[in-house]
Amino acid sequence: MPPALLTTSLVNTIQIGSLYALMALGITLTFSVMKLPNFAHAEYATAGAYAALIVSLSGALNPLVIMIAAFFVGALSALISHLAVFKPLEGRDVSFYTLILASFAVGLIIRYILFTMADYFNLFDLRIAIPLRVLFRDGYLILSNLFAWVAPTSLVLVFILTLLLNRSPLGREMRALADNINLARVIGIPVERVKNYTWLLVGGLAGVAGALWGLQTAVHPLMGWVAIISVFAAAILGGLSSFSGTILGAYVVAFSENTVILFLNVNYGVDLAYKPAIPFIIIIVVLLFRPQGLTKLIRRAGDLGR
Amino acid sequence: MINIDIGATAISILTLFGIYSLMSISLNLEYGVAGLPNFGKALFISIGAYTAGITYTRLLPLLAGAEAIHPCGPTMGGALQLRSEIMASQPIAGFINFALTLVFAAVIADAVGFAVSYVTLRLKEEWFLALVLLVGGETVRILVRGADDFICSHNGISGVAQPFFFVADPRSRALLFMLLSLALALLAYLCSQRLYHSPFGRMLKGLRENEEVTRGLGKNISLARAQIMAVGSLMAAIGGVLFALNTGFVNTNDFVVNLTLDVWVMVVLGGIGNNRGALLGALLIAIMDRFAQIGAIVLNMGGSEIEFNYVRFIAFGLILLWMLRYRPSGLLPESRLTTDAHDVVRRVIGASK
Repeated sequence: MPPALLTTSLVNTIQIGSLYALMALGITLTFSVMKLPNFAHAEYATAGAYAALIVSLSGALNPLVIMIAAFFVGALSALISHLAVFKPLEGRDVSFYTLILASFAVGLIIRYILFTMADYFNLFDLRIAIPLRVLFRDGYLILSNLFAWVAPTSLVLVFILTLLLNRSPLGREMRALADNINLARVIGIPVERVKNYTWLLVGGLAGVAGALWGLQTAVHPLMGWVAIISVFAAAILGGLSSFSGTILGAYVVAFSENTVILFLNVNYGVDLAYKPAIPFIIIIVVLLFRPQGLTKLIRRAGDLGR
Repeated sequence: MINIDIGATAISILTLFGIYSLMSISLNLEYGVAGLPNFGKALFISIGAYTAGITYTRLLPLLAGAEAIHPCGPTMGGALQLRSEIMASQPIAGFINFALTLVFAAVIADAVGFAVSYVTLRLKEEWFLALVLLVGGETVRILVRGADDFICSHNGISGVAQPFFFVADPRSRALLFMLLSLALALLAYLCSQRLYHSPFGRMLKGLRENEEVTRGLGKNISLARAQIMAVGSLMAAIGGVLFALNTGFVNTNDFVVNLTLDVWVMVVLGGIGNNRGALLGALLIAIMDRFAQIGAIVLNMGGSEIEFNYVRFIAFGLILLWMLRYRPSGLLPESRLTTDAHDVVRRVIGASK
């Protein structure tokens, strides 16, 4: 493989992998704390991306302002879906498949509300247009200020989230919920409040991930739905319980989707159209042969034990 | 305003009803009766459609005594014309092809369903099956779309005509196809009712309620799962054949997760575990589908800016949430089943008091 192609794909791996990590951590958290595989998760990212796009179109081009708006919209849509849908269902002690189905329905509703809005205001495939500046150029490889935003922001957020989970009181309470919700309730942890905070956090991070995504490509109502399986693949590589495993999983998925497929394409002529199949294959292989994911390899304190 | 042809609308609704019934009854058998969460319904439906795509392009010309033309690429137009001519002029070849399509689709779907059920044996948690099926369905779709020669990748195959294509009058042609799809749906309904009330059906319900107890009673639960997946997949694939013939078109883009969700909406709406509920759900969704299309046309002609097709999905999501929250057992809940043993027990308890 030509070195220029390799470097470009590795840069993509880092960028996309960081975004996957930001979203996949949310899925791992909701699954551990709420016992819910949330298929609507990526729609919070799309909602955040649209919030960012609208803010940027209204003239505010400071990336920080854009990301804060995305955080709020993502967090709000996550909290609303919890309060309106998941919480009443959890209260009724329904089957697991009912929750999966409900999360699909929530995703469908958010996605097509965004579709209707995008159609009405003609907001398809627009980029969040912060000014572009080239920071680094070497042959084919061009690093703009977008790269300086996307990867570091997500890495810092992932770091903060890990710290929050391991060191703060809220993180301790979240881990207690993940471990045993009844025990947590007995010792006086305000379970409902912790759940609300978890949803806000998870949705907000997804919203920021969506905004960062919109910075480098384009905003479309389907962008979250397209990414959800890759994100799930990352979370499943983390065994749906391990933070470090999920982060590693996100980069593994991004690496396979960017570098490995390119390698196969150049050396064995595998069509790039098969790229979307990669996360699917990862999920099936992991679920069948290593359902605990990468957890056993890198088990550390602070993992959400199950 | 536009004129709505009530007769044609009724025919198209009932045709859709037949097709959807096959899908919803199959999911009801798998999930409602046996408790297997088949989130890969689109995969099994697509098996039927892809089979139709293959037989109509490779088998039909041979049956009609002509040379098969490669259906994709530069010869696409010629192959399409050949298909249409055969379907219009040689009804016998069309019928034999249709029957063989059903047989092939049933056999392939049976084998796939049987094989997939063995995956459950390896899974650590039960709900992983839902994920594996969901993801497996999409993987197969991407692989089929990527393969150029199979059903022409992105372009799909058009001219997959229904077997009554030779009938000149479009109204009676549609009516005959409607009867065909209703007849197949009726057959599926009768079979699944028979299955539901058989000892095998009771074992499946036991499997749904408590796997350990069923195993403890000496039942081979993995075999039972494999069998019900095979039966359900067969029905779904036949539904898929009709689905393709109804639109006249086989394209991988039709078999996405949204189709799976549509079938789930039918079962959840109608009543989980009740075959009549599955029929009702299929009917309601067929009606809503058709009226959503009419509504979209009316709205767009009225100059409305809102795209009605999006509203359809929002409505489906809301219906699903509403049902899950307020009527989790559906409009027609599964009736409580009592056997002779119940009566004996009740009499004994009554006598002892």
